[in-house]
Amino acid sequence: MVNDLGQLFTIEGVAASMIMLFTTYLVLGATTVYTPGDSHISDMQLEQIGTDALNMMNTPSNCTSTSCVSTLQQIVSETDTNLSAANSTFNMIFLNYVNNRTESMSDNLHYEANITFRDTTDGPNSTTISSYYLASNRNLNGVEHPVRVTEWVIIGPPNFPGIILPPGAHYIAQPRAVLVEVLLWRD
Amino acid sequence: MAGLSDDAQWIVMMGFVVSLSFFFLALLLNQSTVVGQTTAESVLDFPKNDIRDVRSVMIQSAELNATGQITGGQYATIQNDIQTLSLSEKKAVVQYQIINTNPVWLSIHYNNGVTSYNETYVSP
Repeated sequence: MVNDLGQLFTIEGVAASMIMLFTTYLVLGATTVYTPGDSHISDMQLEQIGTDALNMMNTPSNCTSTSCVSTLQQIVSETDTNLSAANSTFNMIFLNYVNNRTESMSDNLHYEANITFRDTTDGPNSTTISSYYLASNRNLNGVEHPVRVTEWVIIGPPNFPGIILPPGAHYIAQPRAVLVEVLLWRD
Repeated sequence: MAGLSDDAQWIVMMGFVVSLSFFFLALLLNQSTVVGQTTAESVLDFPKNDIRDVRSVMIQSAELNATGQITGGQYATIQNDIQTLSLSEKKAVVQYQIINTNPVWLSIHYNNGVTSYNETYVSP
């Protein structure tokens, strides 16, 4: 003899269990697993910090009556004659800008900087791109997840009436626009 | 449904209401983690810093040319540098042209396939 009492309770039980299971599924799905390739939020902040630091370095500060020269312009021009001095100046100023915080603990950012330019060894309209090392405070070893920040710099006369001859003897005379590229990461 | 008790209907209904509200709260919690992610993604996708940077160097070179600090040939070299390096390092087509020298009028174009930016700059 089958009793036909309790259908409502059965239906309610089924509905409640479905809702609870689905809620659990949603809650578990909400705890996002952060993989390095997914960390867009910190990437965005890193990119902003790096761009701001390079912008500050490329703000004209040493002005004479005829022209203004930024620190970054001086550094890039100095790679021609004295790469190690340019290296240490860039290293000091850049790390100072990105790592200083208002609390006592400094941040832990590392970088690798290169200068990219159009190589006119083959002729004035050549589209060959070359780059050379500017500075770094640590080597990138493939585990880190760096962001790339860049800054355009115009070098040459009238600010620097000499030619620029980067290490590797790529002859680039004249005032030129070069790109300072920095890979920046936190560990 | 003979013999089904109709007691405790309030309890049954409140059970449903509470579980539904849990459901919506969980839905909100689920969406909230995605919000910062998608915002940061779209900020990274939009080349704000690239445009500002390349724009400033274009204006700088045009001003140098307009004030006679660099010759027309040197200006053309810098223009070539900016266009070639942008294409190779930033994957963006940029173009700019001086329309007038005093005051400096400069037409600026930037396109990286997703974002395009056009401007006529007039020096203050």
